[in-house]
Amino acid sequence: MTRILLLEDLPEIRVWLKALALQVFPDAQITEAARVHDARQQISAQRFDLALIDLGLPDGSGVDVVSALREQQPEAQSVVVTIHDDDDHLFPALQAGAFGYLLKEQSREQLGEQLRRISAGEPPLSPSIARRVIQYFAAQAKNHFREAEPLMPGVTLTERENEVLLRVAKGFTLPEIGVQLNLSRHTIADYVKQIYRKLNVSSRAEAALEAQRLGLFRRN
Amino acid sequence: MLLGIALAGPARAQAPQPADAPAGAVQADDAGREDASTVTLRSAQVLTLPAPTPAPPADGVYAPVSLPDDWTLASTPGLQAVWYRLEFERPVAAGDGPLAAYVPRVCFNLELHLNGVLLHRGGRMTEPVTRNCYHAQLVALPASLLREGVNRLDLQVVGFPLPRVAARQRAGGLSEVLVGPQELLREAYESALFWNVTVPQAIAATLLLIGFVMIGLSWVRRLRYLLYFGLASAGWALLGVRLWWRDIPLPHGSLELLTAAAFVPVAVCALLFVLRYCDVRRRALDVLLWGQCLAMPAALWLAGPERLFVAASSVYAILAVEVALAVGFYLVHAWRHRRAEFWFMGFISLCGAVAVAIEVAVQGQLVPLESVHVMHFALPVLFVALGFRLVQRFAQALDAAESARQQLEHRVREISADIERNFAHLAEIRVEQVAEKERKRIAADLHDDLGAKLLTIVHTSTDERISTLAREALEEMRLSVRGIAGKPVQLTDALADWRAEVVSRLGEAGVEVDWQSSDPEAPRTLPARSYVQTTRVLREATSNLIKHSGATRAIYQCSVGDDFRLVIRDNGRGIPLELDGKLDRGHGMASMKARAKQMQGQCLVESGPGYGTVIRLTLPL
Repeated sequence: MTRILLLEDLPEIRVWLKALALQVFPDAQITEAARVHDARQQISAQRFDLALIDLGLPDGSGVDVVSALREQQPEAQSVVVTIHDDDDHLFPALQAGAFGYLLKEQSREQLGEQLRRISAGEPPLSPSIARRVIQYFAAQAKNHFREAEPLMPGVTLTERENEVLLRVAKGFTLPEIGVQLNLSRHTIADYVKQIYRKLNVSSRAEAALEAQRLGLFRRN
Repeated sequence: MLLGIALAGPARAQAPQPADAPAGAVQADDAGREDASTVTLRSAQVLTLPAPTPAPPADGVYAPVSLPDDWTLASTPGLQAVWYRLEFERPVAAGDGPLAAYVPRVCFNLELHLNGVLLHRGGRMTEPVTRNCYHAQLVALPASLLREGVNRLDLQVVGFPLPRVAARQRAGGLSEVLVGPQELLREAYESALFWNVTVPQAIAATLLLIGFVMIGLSWVRRLRYLLYFGLASAGWALLGVRLWWRDIPLPHGSLELLTAAAFVPVAVCALLFVLRYCDVRRRALDVLLWGQCLAMPAALWLAGPERLFVAASSVYAILAVEVALAVGFYLVHAWRHRRAEFWFMGFISLCGAVAVAIEVAVQGQLVPLESVHVMHFALPVLFVALGFRLVQRFAQALDAAESARQQLEHRVREISADIERNFAHLAEIRVEQVAEKERKRIAADLHDDLGAKLLTIVHTSTDERISTLAREALEEMRLSVRGIAGKPVQLTDALADWRAEVVSRLGEAGVEVDWQSSDPEAPRTLPARSYVQTTRVLREATSNLIKHSGATRAIYQCSVGDDFRLVIRDNGRGIPLELDGKLDRGHGMASMKARAKQMQGQCLVESGPGYGTVIRLTLPL
């Protein structure tokens, strides 16, 4: 049984998303929420395997819910469901720990396929997101170089991961890259998962560092 | 330099004592005159009295004395009167013309009797006595009073002895007396009058003028050194009054004290001028210098009338040393900072120093007295030269100021142009920011309202056609929003996005794709609108290709040069022509063309049944 948190403020869309989720996970137990506040409460109250989270909500951003879930239930998967396909909206969610994203206007079949793939460990990665990720890690490396701090272990991208990112950024699809690098579909998917994970870890570490710099954490 | 004049003026030295002349003798002055028409009387009988008398006292006991006779010893405290008795014979070579007696110097005043008859009085003989120290005296001797043989001249001289005056040439005394033809002596008299009175008057007028001009300039331009120069110059001119104003209505003691004291502020102004000219500005020093204006007169007063000459000489000496120090300081300063001025000013200072040295020598009777005093004229000339230099410097400064002002104006114009430009730029940026903010707001509204509604239609409509239309509308809306809110897109990024979309769509549709694109050599950007429109054309074309062409293979070629070119070929069945000869509107060809046109580009479609379709999109960059 899959426990799913569904966060969406528009009732019609919520109904429809619920149907979509049930189509992919027929035995799912779905908890609905319309606001960030409700979702937080639910997260504190019970465990989830998957969360479908809308970004633009009346009382805040879905990104906060993604963060909260990542913090409290690291094993749960967050999938952002949004109307915004641009990296400005998606990137923060991915940094906060979202494992993938669905674009609402896609057809039910496409969405179903996407969701299935995500839950199977094959998250999507668009060129614009890939470019943002590359920029992000480049900036990190530069900061560390400048401040002569050692890079945090486990958050640097491997050569292969970089290779995949660069090719995605150039507009190659994941299957194409698999062919070019002579890698299986699963291996490519693993790289993408690793990229998302490292993005999240690095972002969290960065946030912590930033907080420390601002003096939020003080030693007594 | 000023002080040099100060010393020279009042202390005009005495003629040196001539070689001893036989007392009472009548003789021709062979040294002074080439002919024997004039006699020079160098010996006399003298009788000193405590007060003037109307006639030579009959019972007085005369003592012999040689002329010139200077009164060097103090006697009675008041005005002193001395009777001189001189005897002469009518000069043989004088001819029959009228005779005259010429007295080059007498101080303060004299009365002349010829053979017991009063002939001439130089002014008041009692206090306040007329001061004739700078005025020679010429007295016509009427032929009717002259006797054959020995004639007697009685001269009553009134004055004060040396210790009771502030300057040597105002000490009482009588020079030698010349008797000869009137016209001959008048020449000498007028020459003396010219050099000792007229010229100093002219000089005083000039200096006064310069002084006022400088004071005016300093007032206009706020230049303190010009003010001090003007004050010193005008002050010096006023001091010259003593040379020609004979009947000053003041008692002798006060007048002498005043004259000596008046040199102090003039010298202080000169000192301050030099200091200011070197940009020296010390409050304590100023106070000290001005303090002298009180201290020195007080010292003169305390010294008392008996020691006035010594006290005044000391005051002059102190002031001279101060000015010399200031000038020395100035020359050092000029050598360091204003090399160009050094030589001119150095020359002037040197001339001043020489003049002062000559005067000191003359005063100390080290060199004989010349008839025309260097001091008297050299220093005012130097004064004028200095004034000229100041005016020149002022004019230069004015020129410099003028050109600086022009430069400044030029700079101001430049800067204001800059500011205007910047302001326009800022305004642009502001407009840009406001527009950006507004665009974001509109985009958010569109997403939240229209987007949500369209989305609802997409996912709730049972009619596939309607939900497809809604989806397309949603896509359109998103693109529009991007066009409104978007920043310029890097061309390489746009190409990557397009490639990813086209390849995955055609891949899902089972069409084989060959995407050929060359990255631009230099980074180039595409305006958000162009990006959006091109995306639409590309989507439209791809949709057509999937839906209608039945192609199994498609080639997308992108090239970036002066223009952006996109060529899409497929191996499908082509687009059937309508009856009117136009391509099928249902395939969105018209909207593709319209979009290309909006971007000042063009979209050509070549198609024929069985030949596939070629779409050529060209956009200017």
